[in-house]
Amino acid sequence: MPPVTAIKAAACYQPDSVLPVAKLPGLADLDETERETCAALGVEEVRADDSLSAFDLAARAASRALAEAHLAADDLDALILIDARAPEALMTSAATRLQALLGADRALTFSVGGLGCVSLTPALLAARGLLAADGDLEHVLVAHGSKPPAPLRYRHPVTVSGDGGAAAVISRGGPVRVLDIVQETNGDHWDLFRVDYRDRPTAQWREECRDIPSYSFRLAVETRNRLRALHRRLLDRNHLAPRDISRYLSHNLSVGAFRFTEEALGIEIGTSCFDNLRQYGHLGPNDVLLNLRTELDRGGLEDGQYAVLLSASPVAAWSLLLVQIGETGDGAAAAHYL
Amino acid sequence: METPNQTDAAAVADVTQELSAYLTRNLGQELGPDEDYFALGLVNSLFAMELVNFVEQRYGIEVGVDDLDLDHFRTLGRLRDFVLAKTANRGAAA
Repeated sequence: MPPVTAIKAAACYQPDSVLPVAKLPGLADLDETERETCAALGVEEVRADDSLSAFDLAARAASRALAEAHLAADDLDALILIDARAPEALMTSAATRLQALLGADRALTFSVGGLGCVSLTPALLAARGLLAADGDLEHVLVAHGSKPPAPLRYRHPVTVSGDGGAAAVISRGGPVRVLDIVQETNGDHWDLFRVDYRDRPTAQWREECRDIPSYSFRLAVETRNRLRALHRRLLDRNHLAPRDISRYLSHNLSVGAFRFTEEALGIEIGTSCFDNLRQYGHLGPNDVLLNLRTELDRGGLEDGQYAVLLSASPVAAWSLLLVQIGETGDGAAAAHYL
Repeated sequence: METPNQTDAAAVADVTQELSAYLTRNLGQELGPDEDYFALGLVNSLFAMELVNFVEQRYGIEVGVDDLDLDHFRTLGRLRDFVLAKTANRGAAA
């Protein structure tokens, strides 16, 4: 039996400043179709603070996660930073910058990424692998700061991105056990969305789709097929049926994307996802951690219950995580502080 | 008694009518057999999946990754031809 991997603590940081979607910078420059699509996404407002970088957002969430886990930075055995969409400077290491800022001097430190909104999964896979491979390791901190790369926060026809940080302490025990992780990718879509930045002022950066019909058709139907297969595999190999899953929590792109996933899998997405989408927009790989945290804060998941966290990315990556609430899965250790 | 050609012609007409009715009902406008509803911006991801779900369930076919060429789906005429080819293959394989 594989060793237990658990989320010991998870924390989010949202800037205070609220930006209504109706007042997004650059909205007036969009054509009518783009504006109508943007207004129909189900995002009412996002948090946006130009004085905070993606690194700042990750660092603030990391500090909160450590505090909630009752750990000092020196207790960390490893630190994994999920790369920001756009680095502040080339050649530098944001991961070791975070190590220095926190004072996590002992922590084995590196970054992962490359899968857009699905990039939490490689971070968790790496954390699980470290804990399995080295018996001396106890605590791994995973952190990410989500900030869109381009000043126009609207990505046509997909979502509106906000600012936010999230972090989780992954340990051998904790109130949410990560039972299984499945992930697939298809490199055919590696550049379906892109931001051309070389020799362009930042004000001109824009997230652009190479081929919207491909996004709306081929990637959509492939996503249906992939999610169905991954869902079946995840449940089958854990001897579970869909009725055993108490909550499905998705990444937050749009109400349409939630409906898509619900129809594709014959499931219901948790209401916390709709609420977080409405008030925070899309936060990249942080969405599922935010939704899990919200669900637990609301008392929507009890000890022993299972949840599935779903993520998909337009770079064509799909991931499902199976988690169970409670230290032992039978409700024996009830007090969680996620 | 119907000849095979008459039967084929009837099947083509039936499939065309069903698909046309489905598209008209869901896209809010009647489209000609060669009008590209993707190029017209009428299709989002959710409808694309629902369209594929509809043809799979109505005609008993499976749309796999190898079938995901947009050219099969972008007009009523092409969608009809795709459905007829898949149902013919299913019959041949049975």
